[in-house]
Amino acid sequence: MDGLCCGPGYASPSEAVKAPREKLLYTIAIYTGTGIQKPDYLATIDVDPESQNYSQVIHRLEMPGIGDELHHMGWNACSSCHGDEKMTRKYLLVPGVRSNNIYVIDTATNPHAPSLHKVVDGAKIKSNTNLSGPHTVHCLGSEIIISFLGDAKGEAPGGYLHLNKEFEIVGRWENSMGDIPFSYDFWYQPRHNVMVSSEWAAPNTFMPGFDLEEVGHLKYGRRLHIWDFEKKKPIETMYLGEDGLIPLEVKFMHDPKSSHGFCGAALSANVIHFWKSKDGKWEWEKIIDIDNEPHPDWPIPIPGVMSALLVSMDDKYLYINNWLHGDMRQYNISDPHNPVLTGQIWMGGLLGKAPFVNGVKVAGGPQMYQLSLDGKRMYVTTSLFSTWDNQFYPEIRTEGGVMVMIDCDVDNGGMKINKDFILDFGKEPNGPSRCHESRYPGGDCTSDIWL
Amino acid sequence: MNKITIANRNNTIFEVKGTKPLLSELRSQGLDLPYGCQYGGCITCAAKLINGEVDQRSQVALNNRQINNGYVILCVARAKTDCTFDIGVESHDKLYRNPFIDPLEPHELKSNIAILKDNN
Repeated sequence: MDGLCCGPGYASPSEAVKAPREKLLYTIAIYTGTGIQKPDYLATIDVDPESQNYSQVIHRLEMPGIGDELHHMGWNACSSCHGDEKMTRKYLLVPGVRSNNIYVIDTATNPHAPSLHKVVDGAKIKSNTNLSGPHTVHCLGSEIIISFLGDAKGEAPGGYLHLNKEFEIVGRWENSMGDIPFSYDFWYQPRHNVMVSSEWAAPNTFMPGFDLEEVGHLKYGRRLHIWDFEKKKPIETMYLGEDGLIPLEVKFMHDPKSSHGFCGAALSANVIHFWKSKDGKWEWEKIIDIDNEPHPDWPIPIPGVMSALLVSMDDKYLYINNWLHGDMRQYNISDPHNPVLTGQIWMGGLLGKAPFVNGVKVAGGPQMYQLSLDGKRMYVTTSLFSTWDNQFYPEIRTEGGVMVMIDCDVDNGGMKINKDFILDFGKEPNGPSRCHESRYPGGDCTSDIWL
Repeated sequence: MNKITIANRNNTIFEVKGTKPLLSELRSQGLDLPYGCQYGGCITCAAKLINGEVDQRSQVALNNRQINNGYVILCVARAKTDCTFDIGVESHDKLYRNPFIDPLEPHELKSNIAILKDNN
């Protein structure tokens, strides 16, 4: 289903944009931290408007145990091995942040009912590599690297797990962590021999919840790191300071020739743009600054909490969220130094601008999102992380998460909530669960990288 | 042997040897408890101690306010005396707080960064 020939994915981003419309969506749903003693699961969602099951969960694959906190996930293969006809995009790798297990899920044998293929045991990962707190999964060619935020005892900076294509532990990927204090997300751009990594905090800091005072005690990140990708070691640090408090998601443009990338600093609610200048030097600037908003019950204005960002496959639009404010924004980044706000919607959030969407009460705010390859449909979920949800949106425990679909105007810019699609995870058979990251079987805007 | 009473499960009583953390001792006797990391770092298994004394020196998840409110990380804590707990998310009323509306005092931070009142 991936392409016309060859291996998985597409020959180029412009080919990916022309791929057939997605019909299925795989989304993480969690019970960890909700009080419901059931395993977290992978929900398969029907997103084919011609189907009678449109906008419904059609399958739930439960993990073998409870308490994983499934969070982000990634494919075993993407467009980075498009030239390798022996490879297929068949497996989703789904880490449990708290359990340290990596679940390898077969989505190809029956795409409508994925099945568990293998578990990479969390205890074995700890004993073999001294890593815990897995986060971002990227394939590189036929192999896989996964960022971990801590050592086996949950202390920073963690490092990178290297798995081979049989999902066996090879060891640590990196040759050195240099003086990196924290890990989180990463993205690589092979033609520039570069990887950029960001900083959340040690698992022992962020897993129990958010203590604001720990930011001042330097327990949370404020830097981006430039790596020599081939040498597998960091070579430069960009200190973002107050402009870059808790820099989370990091994405390069999809065009493999581009050196431009973006990072969302969650607590500062800023977008940081980075690029390689003509003389080969890595530069950064703040290009978007979301103002904190007053709230009658808060002693200080509410920060946006920009916990994710996404670049459309054609590199024309940047999408960001403000989890506490409750809005999603679309910016035209044709000139990446000067983004232009072209769309905005509201769903949930603490500012009370859109407590209901399509008749469903939205607990939480826009948090994770996946964009269709053609850039026209964005699926947005509302849960951030179980303990942080419990602090800011305690009602999500009984109301569950929500998935909303946004229609995006790719020609003129603009965002509009789709009236026909809504998925209320508060109505799940085992009780209210919380939905998080999503992936499409044919590849998506947050996985595929071109060599 | 110590007696562990679970107040919000009809005062059910379990006897524990103290050789293993409370989470594994209680789960092995059939008590359904939430858990995550199993090394004292992630707070998922927190319960509220109403009476008694535990040794939870190896936990790293709780700040001092949570400890003062009676929270115990069951995956690493061992009973030193007979104890009474509330368990599960029903016991988490004071575990989670909005950090902007209700900030911590310096002495209420996690023990590795807390500034004790006596030193001020």
